[in-house]
Amino acid sequence: MTKLTKIVAAALVAALPVVPVTAQEATAPTEAAEPNVSLQSDVKAYKETTDADGNVSSELVEPTVFTPGTRLSFGLSYENKGNSPATDVTATNPLHEAVQLAPDADPALIVSVDGGTTFGILADLQVADETGATRPATHDDVTHVRWTIAAIAPGESGRVAFPVIIR
Amino acid sequence: MRKTTQLLGAVSATALIVMSSSPAFAEGIRAGTDITNNVTVQYQVGGVQQTDATDSDTFAVDRRVNVDVTAIGGAVNTSPGAQNAALAFDVTNLSNDDIDLALTTALTAGTAGNISNIEIYLDADGDRVLSAAELAAGPITFLDEVGTDVTTAVIVVGDIDLAAANGDSFDIALVADAHAAGAAGLGTELTESAGDSTDPSVVDTVLADGNGGTGEEIDNDGADSDENTLNVQGAQVTVVKSSLVVSDPVNGTTNPKAIPGATILYCIAVENAAGAATATNINVLDDLPAEVDFDSAFGIFVDATATIASGVATCTVPSGSSGGTFSAGGGTGGLDRVSGSLSDIAGGSTGALYFQVTIPAATAPTP
Repeated sequence: MTKLTKIVAAALVAALPVVPVTAQEATAPTEAAEPNVSLQSDVKAYKETTDADGNVSSELVEPTVFTPGTRLSFGLSYENKGNSPATDVTATNPLHEAVQLAPDADPALIVSVDGGTTFGILADLQVADETGATRPATHDDVTHVRWTIAAIAPGESGRVAFPVIIR
Repeated sequence: MRKTTQLLGAVSATALIVMSSSPAFAEGIRAGTDITNNVTVQYQVGGVQQTDATDSDTFAVDRRVNVDVTAIGGAVNTSPGAQNAALAFDVTNLSNDDIDLALTTALTAGTAGNISNIEIYLDADGDRVLSAAELAAGPITFLDEVGTDVTTAVIVVGDIDLAAANGDSFDIALVADAHAAGAAGLGTELTESAGDSTDPSVVDTVLADGNGGTGEEIDNDGADSDENTLNVQGAQVTVVKSSLVVSDPVNGTTNPKAIPGATILYCIAVENAAGAATATNINVLDDLPAEVDFDSAFGIFVDATATIASGVATCTVPSGSSGGTFSAGGGTGGLDRVSGSLSDIAGGSTGALYFQVTIPAATAPTP
């Protein structure tokens, strides 16, 4: 819709006598904005290894088992392949109902428990129970996870992830 | 038009997911369910909102096989010669997929020669008792198409040989082994998927069962078992018949002697040993010696109280109730016969029958 409007605007502008200047001004940001934020959604498994000293380290591996109760990492890798910074980036990840947010997820994670209408940290959210009374939301109630990134500079990449458990 | 169709499609797909996933949560999401993780990124460049970037990742839920077999109730008492002595079991599919279950039994303790025809029947009405209809349906060797979380009641029966004695016991294990569902009849046995299949679209099989401690199967082999015990409890009945001189024509009731004309009380005590099964349908038959006459005026008393000490039965007179039958010449060899039925005698209890006879004066030797 936005694009359509712009094209119409450009056509209108072209019809006017002062064509070149405005046209150039109009095209300049379009060229500059080869906005190309690429995304790669992934699912990884946690593999815990214990070294000789008994220290347990967890690494992400390609998952082989997807049985109920399995803990997985749902991740999002992003990269700004364009030449302008991407700003006000929000990545919204609806949770498939076959998985639930793992209880050890980062408490600061921004989530929704009402189908994506409102977002906040889990500790601040409430849900209505069967009787209509409200109770504090739990990991089981989470319907969406959202990340907010102020800006992704050109060439910058990163990965965000959260743990889930297959129901 | 296209948009409308898509919208409708999307709506019905959501409804389907809701319907199919809600009952499956007890054992987890059903095997084969595709879980798609969608991510949408909104961002601005130069203050202008850009087209959303999206990506998704899909994997299929694997099959986690878990089976539970539970014996119902404690050990069951049976008796020598019992047909279809029954043990009840529950078999539950705790997998996140439908499976077939192969059922087998094993005698894990007890003398194999004293039990035979160990078979499994479906307890169709779930009352833990093998009804005539369930017996007529015939024995089973597998359960077909057992849904997730579905529990099936079965009954394992065996025939106890008459040679089995009081105190014998038989431990019978029931083993349920997961096989693939789908086709009619028993499918192929489910085995752990080999290697590490990293293809997320393939439904692998993971065997996640425990073991029932019967030694008939192990952890993570797709099978579970449990066992229960049939205890053989025979009735151990002993009979003691004792006589007591009640009176004689000379001494009366004071230190009476068994002289002609004397009255004799016969006490027949039936004892069932402690721990034995209740003896039922007890019928006492006593052929009288030809030398004595039945005292019909006194009659016969059944279910009397008696004790047995040092091989001597002592009846409490009066006790019990009038009953029994006298049949002149009805016994073996034309002897007079006294008979009477006693009520059931539990283990550790004694029942008795008593009656009187007289020694006819005619049989007395000439002094």
